[in-house]
Amino acid sequence: MDPTASSEAFATMAEAASTLVNPALQRWRDDGGRVIGFLCSMVPEELFMAAGLLPFRMRATGSTGTDLADAYFTNLNCSFPRHCLNLALEGEFEFLDGVVGINSCDHIRRLYDNWKRNVDTGFLHFISLPRQSGPDQIQWYTQECRMLRDALAESFAVEIKDDDVRAAIRLANQGRGLQRALYALRKQERPPINGEQALVIMVAGTAMPKEEYNALLSRLLTELDGVQGEGDYRARLMITGGILDDPAWVRAVESVGGLVVTDGTCFGARLMWQDIDEEAEDPLEALARYYLADRPSCPRLLDTQEKRTQFTVKMCRDFNCDGVLGEKMMFCDQWDVENYMLDMDLADEGIPFLRIDREYLTSATGQLKTRVQAFIESMGK
Amino acid sequence: MIVAGIDLGSATGKAVVMKDGDVIGTHIEPSTAHPLKMANRVIEAALAEAGVPSVDHIENTVSTGYGRLDIPFANENVSEIACHAKGAHWMVPSVRTVIDIGGQDCKVISVSPKGGVLEFVMNDRCAAGTGRFFEGISRGLGCGLDGISALENQGEKPCVISNQCSVFAESEVVTLVNEGTDFRNIIAGVNLSVAKRLKGMARRVGVIEDVVLTGGCSKNDGLVKAIGESLEVEVKRLPRDPQLAGALGAALLARERLDAKL
Repeated sequence: MDPTASSEAFATMAEAASTLVNPALQRWRDDGGRVIGFLCSMVPEELFMAAGLLPFRMRATGSTGTDLADAYFTNLNCSFPRHCLNLALEGEFEFLDGVVGINSCDHIRRLYDNWKRNVDTGFLHFISLPRQSGPDQIQWYTQECRMLRDALAESFAVEIKDDDVRAAIRLANQGRGLQRALYALRKQERPPINGEQALVIMVAGTAMPKEEYNALLSRLLTELDGVQGEGDYRARLMITGGILDDPAWVRAVESVGGLVVTDGTCFGARLMWQDIDEEAEDPLEALARYYLADRPSCPRLLDTQEKRTQFTVKMCRDFNCDGVLGEKMMFCDQWDVENYMLDMDLADEGIPFLRIDREYLTSATGQLKTRVQAFIESMGK
Repeated sequence: MIVAGIDLGSATGKAVVMKDGDVIGTHIEPSTAHPLKMANRVIEAALAEAGVPSVDHIENTVSTGYGRLDIPFANENVSEIACHAKGAHWMVPSVRTVIDIGGQDCKVISVSPKGGVLEFVMNDRCAAGTGRFFEGISRGLGCGLDGISALENQGEKPCVISNQCSVFAESEVVTLVNEGTDFRNIIAGVNLSVAKRLKGMARRVGVIEDVVLTGGCSKNDGLVKAIGESLEVEVKRLPRDPQLAGALGAALLARERLDAKL
């Protein structure tokens, strides 16, 4: 019996993960609240919260094509920004009062450029993200946080005090703690939720007011307490890689006997494996330090590869994984080369690794299922 | 003990029926838009050849290929990667590397001494270097698949086919045809381009001899020659139809599973 089947809290999150404008976001807007979209998990969303705005992590859920966006991108651009821009050109992002871009990769950067020219959004701001994560770059990123704070304060006519930022950090950390508690349940031999459901819960957290989300997740954790799942899987898997916000992709992986028990993705564990320092004298510097140096990083940052491998190996051991799926979007050069290195590093650790290229939309899953099934079979499972 | 393997691929459906370790019936036919009907047809044709009256006489059936997940009379499904390794190993026990080139994917599989899968790589999404690719090219050349395969058509000076996209490669071939290029050099170039692509994939798992080719495209003699030259290995010929390797592997696994239960 699937313990989430009768859960109202899970149903609310599932709706949020499968749509752009979910009921909680709609209520926020109906009450006069404003919403800011941001293009990468390295944007410090706590600043939006401190300004009284609702942060919305951009995704292209519901997109069916890129025909409009293809006029502004090439075939060698990642399909994630193409689908995002396409939905924007179709008017699906009119619920946003602002968009914050970042140069986390060239594709995302060009999404911002195209957005600026072609989509009418009230507030637009761009963050310049350093390439390294040393003390000088933390100072630089602190400055970027300050500039974003000031731009928000001016455009939305609000005062953003350090204490507001601290309160936002506390609230976001509370959510992170709950999410880690959810992941801890997945260490069990028979976890109460599968990987598809876990991703639903994580994605929902990027699209609704944090107070509401934290309350829902607390309720769900109580419901899952002491519950065991079916345990009818052949292999326990970890997923690493870039943007993965589509539970249907994980469903395909799990349909051939895999059980995804943890991950290192930017809609998953990388969002919440660390807390932000709540006591720091300068909360903006605490944000910069967290986003650049403390949280599990993306290959975008130089000299962080070894640390990421250590993170992946530790996750595998802690969650008793049989193997790792390294997913990445087509044309993502950062994760591509990363996966070559990770492949070799994991071989040294005796951990099986399967690399998978994907497009943003999960359409034909035949090849994916064949690969994952063969991967599980090759482990003798 | 009668067992069967059925391989519903993207281009063809295949079935193999075995009795006490011998192959007693096989069948291959083109895929249709009705996979279930096709599954019934190929298994019935293979059973007819074997002289077995109906599916009720089969003690265990394993399915594989793209259509493997929903075949009502199959007791289990196994990926085509494991099945090709198993089938090739049964035919040539010394095999350590299987290159399977089917209708829409190609795979390089590293095989253990016992016929299990050690590692594999598979092409990503697009059909470059597969059956679909050769179908397109043969259209561009107007020579049919046999024309691409024939050894006497492998020119001495292979043209450079730079594009790996099947659609663009076809246009490239059309350009060469219209420039009056010797069609044998175009054919040699096409086969060489696929062989080079496979070389890159094979490098990722490492090529250990013996090497065999399975799947429909391994019937292309020109490609077999180009792959041997490109990988600098002797490609071993299979004693049976290489297109049946997946279905054969599925039948062998059906028997293994049954043995394990008894």
